Amino acid sequence: MIHLENVSKVYKNGTNALNNISLDIEDGEFVYFIGETGSGKSTLIRLLDGEEVPTKGKVIVNGTNVGRLRFSKVPLYRRKIGVVFQDYQLLKNKTVFGNIAFALEVTNMTKKEVSQRVREVLHIIDLDNEIRNYPTQLSGGQQQRVVIGRAIANRPGLLICDEPTGNLDPRHSKEIIELLQKINDGGTTVIVVTHDEALVENYRKRTILLDNGRIISDNAQGGYSHV
Amino acid sequence: MFRKIGRSFKEAFWGITHHVAMVISTANAVTITLVLVSVLSLLIANISQITYDVEDDIQLYVKIENEVLDEDIQSIQNKISRIAGVEEIEYSDADNELDRFIAAYGEAGKIYEIYRQDNPLSRVFIIKVANGYSLAELSTQISTVEGIQSVDFGGATVEDFVKLLNGIREVGTIFVIALALLAIFLIYNTIKITINSRKEEIGIMRLVGATNSYIRSPLVLEGMFIGILGSIIPILLTIFGYNYIYTSLNGQLVSGILKLIDVFPFTLWVSLLVLVAGVTVGVIGSYISATIYLRYKR
Repeated sequence: MIHLENVSKVYKNGTNALNNISLDIEDGEFVYFIGETGSGKSTLIRLLDGEEVPTKGKVIVNGTNVGRLRFSKVPLYRRKIGVVFQDYQLLKNKTVFGNIAFALEVTNMTKKEVSQRVREVLHIIDLDNEIRNYPTQLSGGQQQRVVIGRAIANRPGLLICDEPTGNLDPRHSKEIIELLQKINDGGTTVIVVTHDEALVENYRKRTILLDNGRIISDNAQGGYSHV
Repeated sequence: MFRKIGRSFKEAFWGITHHVAMVISTANAVTITLVLVSVLSLLIANISQITYDVEDDIQLYVKIENEVLDEDIQSIQNKISRIAGVEEIEYSDADNELDRFIAAYGEAGKIYEIYRQDNPLSRVFIIKVANGYSLAELSTQISTVEGIQSVDFGGATVEDFVKLLNGIREVGTIFVIALALLAIFLIYNTIKITINSRKEEIGIMRLVGATNSYIRSPLVLEGMFIGILGSIIPILLTIFGYNYIYTSLNGQLVSGILKLIDVFPFTLWVSLLVLVAGVTVGVIGSYISATIYLRYKR
């Protein structure tokens, strides 16, 4: 699914964000990336979603060399991956339905197909009853569910989540991680970047620790104590 | 296809209704520039028409030397007609010239009939010129042809007048282009502000895989709408304002020689030009603005 080969990233201002990283993530895996601020986690996400290109090395996702992707092909590539950020990023002027439909409309689906798929997604994220509500009428946990719903609307093979529980209390964090597990059980590869020690400890998955742009440990057992 | 267009219109409408003040203020600025474009277009078109009329009336009187034999006239005519700037050339013999002379004086002219036997007038070529701003040069060229006595073109005043009209036309055209660029810049800035206020939405569009053209099309439509909105008042002013001026001046300027172009269909063509200019500057301004924003982001 994901193959990183000797990947380095140096930004224009000279910041050395990633330093010769190599790793493989198989189809259907659930992986945590942990590490302190500035360790390179966010850069890794930006390389995976095609926002940045590596200074050196290869980033291959599902056979696509993302770093060498032509400018015009980036949007089509993005439809095959889902990205979730900590700060919800919902459109306040659109309902729950509208926010999820937004991801499908850019692919030129018909109205009927969009409507059908949004209802399926709402069922997955367990928000069937909030379809007409606006983001401001939802709790933080519900808003994050909608973001996840939008990210999986196009049935991506890969779901990347950057601090998905960062703004949530433990109860809502639990709901989110269980939702991500449900999505992973459906065959989607899930990558979660997090600072949340409790999450990594309680829901043990393969955990990769980054520090100063390098992989310090890669533990299939998971948990903070093991890395 | 229709779904895409429908979506773009819907998004553009949303953008307009959520930035009403900005849209109206830009449309106002575009209105001012398009009013100037309209005024200058009306002026340029009328000047072109007057120049054309004046040039149409300009004739060169080329006197042939008395020593030239009648059989050599044709070869001189051929030489002159080959000179650049000569549109038409007509030969008039001395008898014909006397007829004209007498006719010009009406009844009183008949006393000149006594010259019929011993006609002092020269044979001439009457030349129509292609344009009126190189009369002196053309006259000099013609006067160098062997067998030509003199060339009369009505003096430097005609040439200066034509040059003035052409000068006004050229400066007016430059102003129209400058105003169009100004309108493009105004719309460019408005769309830039629109983009800034919709950065989050555009960011999400990118996140979910929207192509640049998908993001750009509603913004371009918004710019086009501003252009159309800005052209409404200039179009009304073009039709009613020109009609008023035309009626007030009785369709002529200074004297009957300088006639204004009729109101219809002229004002409709200028209105169409103003509308096309509005739409074009709207599309170009917003396209540039959106493209600059989208180009450097993956």
